[in-house]
Amino acid sequence: MKIDSITKLDKWRKEILTKQKTIKTKVLICLGPGCLAGGSDLILKEFQTLLKKKKIKDISVESVKKTGCHGFCARGPLVIIEPLGIFYSKVKKMHVKDIIEKTLQKGEIIEKLLYKDPNTEKIYKEWRKIPFYARQQKIALRNVGQIDPDEITDYIANGGYAALAKILKSMKPDDVIEQVSKSGLRGRGGAGFSTGRKWATCAKAEENPHYVLCNGDEGDPGAFMDRCIMEGDPHTVLEGMIICAYAVGSQEGYIYVREEYPLAVVNLQKAIDDARKYGLLGDNILGTDLCFDLKISKGGGAFVCGESSALMRSVAGEIGEPRAKYVRSVLKGLHDKPTVLNNVETFANIPVIIEKGADWFSAIGTKKSTGTKAFSLAGKIKNTGLIEVPMGIKLKEIIYDIGGGINDNREFKAVQTGGPSGGCLPADKLDLEVDFDTLADNGSMMGSGGMVVMDDRTCMVDVSRYFLNFLVEESCGKCVPCREGLFQLHKLNEKICEGKGTEDDLKLMENLSETIISGSLCGLGQSGPNPFLSTIMYFRDEYEAHVNKQECPGGVCKNLITYRINDDCNGCMACLSVCAAGAIKGKKKEQHIIDEVKCDRCGACFAVCNINAIDII
Amino acid sequence: MVKLQINGKTVEAREGEMLLAVIQRMGIDVPTQCHHEAIEPTGNCRLCMVEITKKNWDGWKKSVTSCLYPVEEGLIVETHNDKLFEIRKTILDLQLARSPHSDYVTKMAAEYGLEKSSYPAEPQGDDCIMCYACTRICDVLGKSAIAPTMRGHEKIIAGPFGEAPPDCIGCLSCAHICPTDHIKWNDKGNTRKIWDKKFKLIKCKKCGKKTITREFADYLIEKRELPSEYFDTCDVCKRKETAEKMGELVIKAREATI
Amino acid sequence: MIIDSNKIQKVIDDSPQDKKQLIMILQNIQQEFHYLPKESIGLVSEYLGMPQSTVYSAATFYKSFSLVPRGENIIKVCKGTACHIKGADLIIDQLDAGIGIKPGQTTKDMKYTIEVVNCVGACAMAPVMIVNDKYFGEVKCNRATKLAKTG
Ligand SMILES: Cc1cc2nc3c(=O)[nH]c(=O)nc-3n(C[C@H](O)[C@H](O)[C@H](O)COP(=O)(O)O)c2cc1C
Ligand code: SF4
Ligand code: SF4
Ligand code: SF4
Ligand code: SF4
Ligand code: FES
Ligand code: FES
Ligand code: FES
Repeated sequence: MKIDSITKLDKWRKEILTKQKTIKTKVLICLGPGCLAGGSDLILKEFQTLLKKKKIKDISVESVKKTGCHGFCARGPLVIIEPLGIFYSKVKKMHVKDIIEKTLQKGEIIEKLLYKDPNTEKIYKEWRKIPFYARQQKIALRNVGQIDPDEITDYIANGGYAALAKILKSMKPDDVIEQVSKSGLRGRGGAGFSTGRKWATCAKAEENPHYVLCNGDEGDPGAFMDRCIMEGDPHTVLEGMIICAYAVGSQEGYIYVREEYPLAVVNLQKAIDDARKYGLLGDNILGTDLCFDLKISKGGGAFVCGESSALMRSVAGEIGEPRAKYVRSVLKGLHDKPTVLNNVETFANIPVIIEKGADWFSAIGTKKSTGTKAFSLAGKIKNTGLIEVPMGIKLKEIIYDIGGGINDNREFKAVQTGGPSGGCLPADKLDLEVDFDTLADNGSMMGSGGMVVMDDRTCMVDVSRYFLNFLVEESCGKCVPCREGLFQLHKLNEKICEGKGTEDDLKLMENLSETIISGSLCGLGQSGPNPFLSTIMYFRDEYEAHVNKQECPGGVCKNLITYRINDDCNGCMACLSVCAAGAIKGKKKEQHIIDEVKCDRCGACFAVCNINAIDII
Repeated sequence: MVKLQINGKTVEAREGEMLLAVIQRMGIDVPTQCHHEAIEPTGNCRLCMVEITKKNWDGWKKSVTSCLYPVEEGLIVETHNDKLFEIRKTILDLQLARSPHSDYVTKMAAEYGLEKSSYPAEPQGDDCIMCYACTRICDVLGKSAIAPTMRGHEKIIAGPFGEAPPDCIGCLSCAHICPTDHIKWNDKGNTRKIWDKKFKLIKCKKCGKKTITREFADYLIEKRELPSEYFDTCDVCKRKETAEKMGELVIKAREATI
Repeated sequence: MIIDSNKIQKVIDDSPQDKKQLIMILQNIQQEFHYLPKESIGLVSEYLGMPQSTVYSAATFYKSFSLVPRGENIIKVCKGTACHIKGADLIIDQLDAGIGIKPGQTTKDMKYTIEVVNCVGACAMAPVMIVNDKYFGEVKCNRATKLAKTG
């Protein structure tokens, strides 16, 4: 069935809504990356099998819906029962029968599956009330976790493609660009460039054709927002891109997805196929003159391909070496033609901006960073997951109010934002308001939205070494400052981790960083020293402890620590069985000892000891 | 024509010209490694960096590679200052660690007062500075027999699998353009060896001198639509032959007029 | 391992004959054989009419391609930031002890290959390990080897 007019789309939407009203209770099963790792696919199957056999009033197999990430991954696998919003966490396959028989059949709540806030001991029945969710505001993630990404009808029922209909009915391309500019939307991929201005430049470019590209490379390790959008609400990416195509006059677009995200590729492809089938992609979209089609381009595992010129070469089938040029890609991009490249989350904001208007959007957030931002919370924080908050929110609020604080109530040390191009912010920066400019002014950057929280058992020298190692592996190797410079910077950093570094090495590292930043060809090198520079700016004492005292305050750097078993040891033998070096001796129920000479400081014993009987000294 | 200022002097340049060309025309010495007139610039070495600004930039400056930056009206360019010196010196310092045995790098580094690298030298480091001159010239030739392979610090220039490149025709363009003489080749008897690939050299039918490889000759014949026997004689003999022919013609012509 | 070049050719023939699709064609071959057999470089170059060096250059630039055969079971350990600070190295060490290979290696009997990857987007459940496309979250190092062997 082709939806070849806006009236038909409206009619279709009404039909879908009427049909959906007949399904009174919905059981949402999160198949996002976190819950999937907890086996939520098995839970879904179990629901389907059991419900096929059973006859319950108002409930059928159709009531069960798979969704993308619902957000609170730390508590996954999640099962949510709407419209009441009952929130079952840490669900296992064996709980499914109970949920059906008690909750669905009799309306009883299963207390043990509810969420109990570890900080307040309060038990929550409904997800919207949980502090983790209560502080959030969802725009880009509005549908993620709420709809079945495979069902275009779900998207349409939630107002999908209405923005597209609106522009086709009542807006000229220039009006669209004006709205996007006025909204103040800045690119969510990292640099925060004005989206409206980018579109305007491309629209005006005389050369043809114009291309629209979506950056789904999400190379920043520790970030998964874009993955969740592509997997959980693929149609919003499509709609954002189609609107862009209309605004800038493009007929061809690509979504570049990193190869580590196979499910995103599958879900996007399904969405593209469906959109084509219904006439929302392809020739004469919704019966108008607009023609635009999309293809997926799969990456090959290279971080640098997130950089715009490298991405465009990769889409063209070449190696992803950035091109040095001083003509912007919006004028000479893919195949040297005018090209708009935007991030996944940027596109996901577009339909809402069009529908609700620029003024509505720009009232959210701060003056220079409007709207919301999605973040992925990970690391040593209690409530790991996917969140979306208004710009300008304090770091503290994210980490403590939403994130629930640090694991095991340990001490907060730093939060890493912006991935390999970003930096680490210490405790005294927790009052900072999160927006593009504030983070950049403080030696970090917004980046794409990865937030990795670190506690007192993290070594900041090791964190810097980690990122430099990442960048050395990911540098394309084309230009000298990045290829050789980051390589040497990493070697010097390693030397410090080994306790062999000197004050002179630190100075050399700082000087070298300057050349890498100003001399490198692309953003990877130009921002490569940031993790080092931000850690040495805020945690110089830790570097000095490594250099002057051969100590690792975080207890991480192998050369500088020793493991010792204390008197609390009850002889459970867990450590002994995990020690590959054979360095642990001891009998059952007797205190064990570590042979310091044999021990190679892997830390496995420390990780498996349940009663903290192993000390790092 | 556009007008711009370089080191305080106002100069004129053609639209589309790169800054480096203008700088070199003025006789200013800016170091370069990867730049070469015969091939497209790629900006690998970063030595040619200069600082640019404009009147309305409020004193804000930007470092750009002059080999890739097109001239602009009103641009104010500085080619030498402390910051640029530091960038160039650090780049050479890094190269000195990577290619400690290269005369080319050692000489350039010495001009910046570097005798030894500040970084641990890599004794096994080769002489390749990854300027891509070789691959670019081979691309221009239409062969692309060699290419940058791997990535990052492990990147090397090589043929597929590090073996003899199937598309190489032994023309030596790469070896001749390589600034560090990293690409080794030799002619022994009738055989040329480069990139671990062996080629038969053509012998001039007249004087017996070895000329180019059979593969290169065939390629040129095909590409430039030359007669198939074109490379049977060497250039010298060919010239001699032409001269003789010309001479004959002249004599004949003279005889005819008489 | 001997791979029939006809089989490779078949995968190639099923792909679009377009230079822009080079990476996709290599991905299709790798999908089929779990690695890029040596012959595939030449066959792809012929099919697309591009130099072998260009094909090889792409095959070595992108990390997802392997030019050596990989084992029956592919174990991926995430070394993204979140997994790193939550003990990804412990998992790697335990796998080394339990299976006897380091990342990037394959056991002699071709049963297991261990690879490290940079973030698979399940950071909330760090540390993460993937055994033959199945994700495992919050992996305790003393369970790593067992997970790797039994999936
Ligand atoms: C090394 C490097 C990696 C990048 N990786 C990504 C990425 O994974 N995803 C992304 O959206 N942008 C990434 N960017 C930023 C893009 O180059 C580009 O600015 C962005 O996609 C533009 O979209 P936006 O304006 O919507 O943010 C990266 C930049 C650099 C220099
Ligand atoms: S800065 Fe690094 S990644 Fe970018 S072009 Fe240079 S070597 Fe390649
Ligand atoms: S740190 Fe590792 S090697 Fe040392 S005793 Fe513990 S388990 Fe054994
Ligand atoms: S000798 Fe071979 S590799 Fe070198 S330029 Fe000639 S064809 Fe290319
Ligand atoms: S071999 Fe020579 S020409 Fe080729 S990249 Fe290396 S230094 Fe440059
Ligand atoms: S994956 Fe289920 S809540 Fe994030
Ligand atoms: S000469 Fe300009 S970058 Fe090498
Ligand atoms: S850091 Fe391991 S999954 Fe993201």
